[in-house]
Amino acid sequence: MSNKEHDVTRRQFLNYTLMGVGGFMAAGMLAPMVRFAIDPLLREEKGGKMVDVMAVKDITTEPVRKTFSVDRVDGWHKFKEEKIAYIFKDDNGKIIALSPVCTHLGCTVAWNDDPAHPNQFHCPCHGGRYTKTGINVPGTPPPEPLHVYETKVKNGRLYLGEEKPRGGA
Amino acid sequence: MHRGKGMKFVGDSRVPAKGKFIPPKDYSEYPGKTEAFLPNFLLKEWMVGAVFLIGFLILTMSDPSPLEKEADPTSSGYIPLPDWYFLFLYQLLKYPYASGDYKIIGTVIIPGLAAIGLLLAPWLDRGLERRPIKRPIATSIMLLTVVLMVYLTWESSVTHNWEQSEQQGKIVKQVEIDKSSKGYQLYSQNCAGCHGQNLEGGVGPALVGKNLNPAIVSSMATKGGGNMPPGVFKGSKQELDVLAKFVSDVSKK
Amino acid sequence: MFQKLYDWIDERLDITPLWRDLADHEVPEHVNPAYHFSAFVYCFGGLTFFTIVIQILSGMFLTMYYVPDINNAWDSVYYLQNDVAYGQIVRGMHHWGASVTIVMVFLHALRVFFTGAYKKPRELNWIVGVLLFFVILGLGFTGYLLPWDMKALFATKVGLQIAASFPIIGDWIKLLLQGSDIVGAQTLARFFAIHVFFLPALLMGLMAAHFLMIRRQGISGPL
Repeated sequence: MSNKEHDVTRRQFLNYTLMGVGGFMAAGMLAPMVRFAIDPLLREEKGGKMVDVMAVKDITTEPVRKTFSVDRVDGWHKFKEEKIAYIFKDDNGKIIALSPVCTHLGCTVAWNDDPAHPNQFHCPCHGGRYTKTGINVPGTPPPEPLHVYETKVKNGRLYLGEEKPRGGA
Repeated sequence: MHRGKGMKFVGDSRVPAKGKFIPPKDYSEYPGKTEAFLPNFLLKEWMVGAVFLIGFLILTMSDPSPLEKEADPTSSGYIPLPDWYFLFLYQLLKYPYASGDYKIIGTVIIPGLAAIGLLLAPWLDRGLERRPIKRPIATSIMLLTVVLMVYLTWESSVTHNWEQSEQQGKIVKQVEIDKSSKGYQLYSQNCAGCHGQNLEGGVGPALVGKNLNPAIVSSMATKGGGNMPPGVFKGSKQELDVLAKFVSDVSKK
Repeated sequence: MFQKLYDWIDERLDITPLWRDLADHEVPEHVNPAYHFSAFVYCFGGLTFFTIVIQILSGMFLTMYYVPDINNAWDSVYYLQNDVAYGQIVRGMHHWGASVTIVMVFLHALRVFFTGAYKKPRELNWIVGVLLFFVILGLGFTGYLLPWDMKALFATKVGLQIAASFPIIGDWIKLLLQGSDIVGAQTLARFFAIHVFFLPALLMGLMAAHFLMIRRQGISGPL
């Protein structure tokens, strides 16, 4: 015991070992449980399957409301989720499928049902409006454009996937 | 107000000191060395705990907890089994003097007496002697009880048909069966009683996923084998072929 | 930093005596396996406590996925065991832990019995201990139904039949536990409530009493 400052006493040594063993036990017990609990955070997102919605030749420049259902798996619960899309061709002939979920607070918007603002999407909850291509009209509540579905054309049929935010635009 | 003498002060309150409490012995009065609880003794305890935990975690990893197929209240012929620590009671109820009209002996009287005896042990065995050898009655009753419980558990586990137990609870995947086919009609008349309406098993094993060929099916259906008695199938030779083909096809799904 | 925080709290609440009471007592030689290996029989109480801690923790985590409903119970157990990471281990800890707890309680009770530690003045602690044993058996019985698989359902039917054979009030006990005239949706809900709230509450109260009595009376001396 020449250097009192640096020598670890027997008691301190025991205390450290005790903390080590206690920590090991707590970790051994809790690690599997915590990993179990946070499983939803670490799950890899599975890309949704594309769903056949309508024939491409039926798509016009006027938005039409189409409902389709997507298979969803929620843990042990499997169900079909009903989704709505407004489908039309834009001026360049590109097919656009808009999700009618208002980006303000999640109400469902409708096409052309407000006589004061023809040819716009209109949200009944807080009066949000979007142009035909889904761009939010400045001065109304929505902060961003309507989300668009991923589209794919195969054998003359239109397939829709997940809805994605458009960002900016 | 009474104050001072004969009072015990606990914080602000005064408690009359009766002095009847039997004070615990100071541990330093016990023979031999003592050791501080923290950290010396606790460290040893936790080391034992850590070793125990490692063994326990290995057990959980190597042996998945059993899960049988989903409960089906309409199923008949399932032979239930309690968890192993109730097996002795389960076995006790099989004996004639603890079943039938005497069921109450096995279900209430014996367990009840054991429970009450256990609760009242300090008053049934009041002597000051603590060494087990010096109180032969208490020691022998307890030893006898333990031996009986071990024996009953053992009896129960050796007389139980574990293979059938495993079969009857197995998770069987649902397969599509054409219930309008001739084969299914024959199956339903001859086999479904034991092997289940969906070939999922019951008293007999599940047939789904067994990958049976038709020859084996027809042989089992007529001659029996294993736990299956001979002559279960009652019908013509042609019907047997239809049935065998049907079961074989489903068993391969 | 911790020292400062501790001092700050201690200054206000005087917490030191609370834990020093537990920490500073001396452990006599006759219960210390380091001196006499045969004293390992005194470990069973501590191990019982440890397994109960494991049971409580793993049980809490299992209820994050488990649903006590006849349509979903089995599916949720199947899902948590097979699809959730470490589900097999967490369910295993609870399933095998139940068995291990029973073994440990049993060994602990036998140790106390054969060392005569339940004698005056420790009669009350013995009674609390026996009640703890019964509560743990009750937890085992109610927990067996929860996965809602074949053995759960049919073993519970038998168990309730045994309860029904009790003279006079038997049918009444059975109906109270079963909640309905069959073992079904309501039984599962009831068993879940008993398994997760009622019995654990009782268990913790009794354990607190058990430990307080040990500290008050000290452990019994050598034989």
